[in-house]
Amino acid sequence: MLRNYLLTAWKVFMRRKLFTAINLVCIVLTLVVLMVVTSLLETAFRPSGVEGRSERFLQIVMMRMDSHDGNSVSTTPLGYKLIEKFLKPMPGVERVAAATLPSGAAVYQGERVSEMQMRRVDADYWKILDFTLLAGRLPNAADDAAGRMIAVLNATTAQRLFPGQPAAAVGQHIDVGGQNFEVVGVVEDAMHVNAFADIWAPISTFASSDYRNELTGMFVALILAERSADLPRIQRQVEQIAKGVVQADPKKWKTTRFWADSKLDLFARMTVGGNEKLDSGAGLLLALIAAAMLLFMLLPALNLVNLNTGRIMERRVEIGVRKAFGATSSQLALQLVVENVLLCLAGGLIALAATAGLLAWLEHIQLINYMRYDLSLAVFGWGMLIATVFGLLSGVLPAWKMSRLDPVHALKGAA
Amino acid sequence: MIRLNKVSKTYRTDKVETLAVKEIDLHVKKGEFVAMMGPSGCGKSTLLNLIGLLDRPGEGSIEVEGIPITRYRDKQVAKLRNSTFGFIFQSFHLIPDLRVIDNVELPLLYRSMPAGERRRLAREALEKVGLGARMDHFPNQLSGGQQQRVAIARAIVGQPQVLLADEPTGNLDSKMGAEVMDILLGLNAEGTTVVMVTHDEHEARRTSRIVRVFDGQLVA
Repeated sequence: MLRNYLLTAWKVFMRRKLFTAINLVCIVLTLVVLMVVTSLLETAFRPSGVEGRSERFLQIVMMRMDSHDGNSVSTTPLGYKLIEKFLKPMPGVERVAAATLPSGAAVYQGERVSEMQMRRVDADYWKILDFTLLAGRLPNAADDAAGRMIAVLNATTAQRLFPGQPAAAVGQHIDVGGQNFEVVGVVEDAMHVNAFADIWAPISTFASSDYRNELTGMFVALILAERSADLPRIQRQVEQIAKGVVQADPKKWKTTRFWADSKLDLFARMTVGGNEKLDSGAGLLLALIAAAMLLFMLLPALNLVNLNTGRIMERRVEIGVRKAFGATSSQLALQLVVENVLLCLAGGLIALAATAGLLAWLEHIQLINYMRYDLSLAVFGWGMLIATVFGLLSGVLPAWKMSRLDPVHALKGAA
Repeated sequence: MIRLNKVSKTYRTDKVETLAVKEIDLHVKKGEFVAMMGPSGCGKSTLLNLIGLLDRPGEGSIEVEGIPITRYRDKQVAKLRNSTFGFIFQSFHLIPDLRVIDNVELPLLYRSMPAGERRRLAREALEKVGLGARMDHFPNQLSGGQQQRVAIARAIVGQPQVLLADEPTGNLDSKMGAEVMDILLGLNAEGTTVVMVTHDEHEARRTSRIVRVFDGQLVA
């Protein structure tokens, strides 16, 4: 029966080529947008590239302090002292890294000044994130301990400052905000939230060691678990640790809270969840994204419902004949839905190719610095799922309506 | 085989109510070839649709092989239509997008049957109507007479007990009409019950019984 459905579908599509083309354009445009969004979400949240171990690491980006009277709230990145004193000694974790958030830094080369994004990180940072080393080496604990003035550049920065092969940058010196650094390594560009920067230097290269005494500051902490199953336990541990932190000004601040979040949790906390409780609001965020995607599909789906109703109305005779020869309403509805889903899947494949082209173009023009778009098997799967949902959404109603046609009237309509 | 008891059918639109069939009692016996005659709009086709379970009566009851189908659900009626009836229409109603063999296979799609078996039966049905060499053609590549023969093959492929033909020769010239009539007579001779609507007195005389309809009622 499926063969007959497919054959009929193919013939119907070929009979009205313009109609089919309009349908396809409508489907493709919708799906391209949804697939680009899916690809961006995949790139952002799926463990990949430099954050390939993200399924077993958590990050603490912000802490929140509440005053005694409840009228005052302070939200700030962590201080190094908090990471070193409270988080690094945590039992049951593989390692904890400290890194500053990227901040603007002026790089001087003779007459030229370049504005770069710089992070100061400890040696554990390089062991949690999977940077691809193109030349030289990565800083280690000995560099941290010795306070060596060394730096790592990403490929684009190395190319910009020292044109040629990445190795050409190794051993060169750069002046960043009045400090002189020797370039010891060049890594591949990376866009991920914890990896984004142009230049990295050890934390111990700060001009002042005041950072060591600060509970609040400009740092984030990365916590690598031994297994991803440990993450919920670590999140609870961190929640408890936060309760034990006594701020420098305990008279002003009554409570300190911070949360160890996965990438999705972090994004959800920043957008919908807030930083008042352990639940980041990731469930709500995913539900909102799904609802937004469905809503986005709804308008073109309604348009397709109209087009499909017209297309199916032309086939009243066929519906009448099939009914006369024993087809039930549900069999006919299924046939018509299968046809529509097929068209949407075909549209999905075209959309996938168009999405690949669009993403390649976005990557080429570097709309977002160092952004790498990945059209993975998962995106393909999601794309096909979206196409199927779209097909069902736009096919079920007309199919159901048409399948209930009275056979006598359907046959008369043709005569 | 099929019994209609006091069957009436009214069609209603917003303002108009048309009594198409009035309290008809009709018994079609197994193996009969019944010709239904009457002027246009007298209710012949409505009666044929009621016999073929394509339409439900407003009043009265219909029995198929002694079983009243009044309370049958749509799904049960569809199954009964598929197993018991074959339809031949004046305008052939072949699906233009499908090849002849696929058109003929259509009734078997709604039975649980392997694809190979379906294909074999469709081929046999086409050979029976003399179109074994036209299986891979599309309907629009055939003459009117050939198309009606394909429609007959489609109607008989499921080996139904009853063939219902609504003016099967109405769109054909006399030669092709005679060919189609010969096929129907042959099928009846093999035991298939046939009920045919026709305007052609000559064709009607070749059947075993003529039923005349006038103003929605049977007349003697």
